[in-house]
Amino acid sequence: MRILLMNHIQNAQQSLKSNRMRSNLTMLGVTIGVASVTTILALSAGASKVVSDQVDALGGNIAVIRPGASQNDPIASLTQTKTGGDFAASTLTETDLGIVQSINHVSAVAPLMLLSGTVKADQTAPAGTSIVASTPDLATISNLKVSTGQFLDDTVSPDTAVIGPQLSINIFGTEESIGKSVTVRGKTFTVIGVLKRMNDPINYNQVDFDNSVVIGLASGKEINQGVAQIQQIDIRSNSVSDLSQTIIDTNKALLQSHNNERDFSVLSGDQISRPTSQLFYAIAGVSAAVAGISLLVGGIGIMNIMLVSVAERTREIGIRKALGATNADIAAQFIIESLAIGIGGGISGYVIGYLLAFAISTFLTFDPVVNWQIAGVALFISLVIGTFSGLYPAFRAARKDPIDSLREYS
Amino acid sequence: MVKSDTPPVIELHDLKKRFGIGDAEHYALDGMDLTIKRGEFIAIMGPSGCGKTTLLNILGLLDRSTDGEYLLDGQEISTLGPRRQARIRSEQIGFIFQSFNLISRLNVIENVALPLTYKGITRTKRLELASDMLKNFHLGEREYYMPYQLSGGQTQRVAIARALVNEPSIILADEPTGNLDSRASHIIMEELSDLHKRGNTIIMVTHNPRLTSYASRVITMLDGHVDTDTMILPELVELAPKRPLGPVAKKPKSKKRTAKKKTTTKKVIK
Repeated sequence: MRILLMNHIQNAQQSLKSNRMRSNLTMLGVTIGVASVTTILALSAGASKVVSDQVDALGGNIAVIRPGASQNDPIASLTQTKTGGDFAASTLTETDLGIVQSINHVSAVAPLMLLSGTVKADQTAPAGTSIVASTPDLATISNLKVSTGQFLDDTVSPDTAVIGPQLSINIFGTEESIGKSVTVRGKTFTVIGVLKRMNDPINYNQVDFDNSVVIGLASGKEINQGVAQIQQIDIRSNSVSDLSQTIIDTNKALLQSHNNERDFSVLSGDQISRPTSQLFYAIAGVSAAVAGISLLVGGIGIMNIMLVSVAERTREIGIRKALGATNADIAAQFIIESLAIGIGGGISGYVIGYLLAFAISTFLTFDPVVNWQIAGVALFISLVIGTFSGLYPAFRAARKDPIDSLREYS
Repeated sequence: MVKSDTPPVIELHDLKKRFGIGDAEHYALDGMDLTIKRGEFIAIMGPSGCGKTTLLNILGLLDRSTDGEYLLDGQEISTLGPRRQARIRSEQIGFIFQSFNLISRLNVIENVALPLTYKGITRTKRLELASDMLKNFHLGEREYYMPYQLSGGQTQRVAIARALVNEPSIILADEPTGNLDSRASHIIMEELSDLHKRGNTIIMVTHNPRLTSYASRVITMLDGHVDTDTMILPELVELAPKRPLGPVAKKPKSKKRTAKKKTTTKKVIK
């Protein structure tokens, strides 16, 4: 068996070069498809990385208690976080908060009570403004910092609130809003601090602190008919090594107080970010499928051009066969041509996709992720498209009868 | 040049090629018997549609016969697979076409190097061999010309160089001078005759009776079989013992002529 691969590659190179414009346009189809897939994957990986990075940045000693049993099935967790959270009352109560506080090695506990309602001052805050009722520990656990004023602590009056910088601009028109009054669900609070801008709408608390008002848990209860509706409890253990023991203890203690009903889950590390990442991966999957359609179109483009090229070069095929090319040689030449178009499109698509992703990320709060998986996907896609769209034309070319081909006018 | 004890390079026994089916059935070759020895220069003549080109295609393994035997170097061709046949085309057969059939987007040297591609020879070596071959045909300075920049005669010389670059034992030429004027034709024929002197077997189809003077043997075909052959003489005509014509006949051979047409043309050329 003669090794002709190099020779086939040279043949393909010659014929692609002789039709440079056409080759480049065909390549463009694949480029666009691969570029859009790359952009989507890079950005969505970036988005879900944000959450896990936050958890990591907090030192790895944070655990989160959420109502409802944890879901291992990714699809179920996607569909159920929404419905369960909205309509069912949270299974976490103030009692649980007390129990958790008394567990060994727990250094800080912050409940997260999310309320909906109007926030008003000079102007009414736009929808999407979060009302968070919590304890002073929230600042340390979630790494919240104030730019002016102070955070809530045990000494301040319950009628005080800390607001995010964006909310401050939305309702007061300025970030300097210390001492001004804000009305939350009809109750008036005095602003004692404005948070530092975090630019971090995606986080494990699922609250955009830039656009929220933080009040004390007692005040939160007061404006919610005296009921503490806790959606999440953040715990911080003394050290990273204590965290696993803390989680076990928390589970035990809560299970006891909930009459052995596992209607809560204690999450740490990746588990915290999982629902968010899964949501992003689902969105990414859908958009990648849409982008995949453009890849399909690109593939059809290659096939189309290869068929034209085969028809156009019928005579050449005849000549090559007369000069000793086997059917396999002819097929190889055309497959290598379409592969070259596919891979060329893949590489340029990968580069353009990242350029696009970085361009888009300047408008977003997260950066695209560069990893080998995305490069692998891009290369794999272009290989598959190149091969599959080249197969049929190559087959057609190889099967051409040399005599008929030589007779063909060209 | 042609010795009687040379083994036959090509043997055809009752070769048939049918086109069409049923009512449209038509035999382009109808019981062709032919033996060709190494080193012969054969000119095949005959009216249009007598099966000359079909014969050449079958000899060149571009087409398959419907029936009969074709032995190339003692090997029955119909038993070989397409891959093996392509290998034979690559190594033993050189084609020269009427319409030259150079690939128009490749330059001269790349065209000449093309057959070597399928023998797995590296690019540098290919171009080297092609360049040497072109120099033999005094085209050394045209290596990087494109085919459309050459005259007809030059183009055909490039095509001959391409046919020879693989050092084939058999050269098949289908009206190699059909598209050329008489001056260029004679240059091409001189080249072919030169190849013949160097021991190549050449089988040429032509319409031009003048060119048969270069051949060592002339075959006329009619309706798919051999009509006359200068090697095999009809029994009815008592003649001198079989004697092939020389490549360029030195003396008149009118006595041995069976086909009167040819004899006259020979005389004209002499």
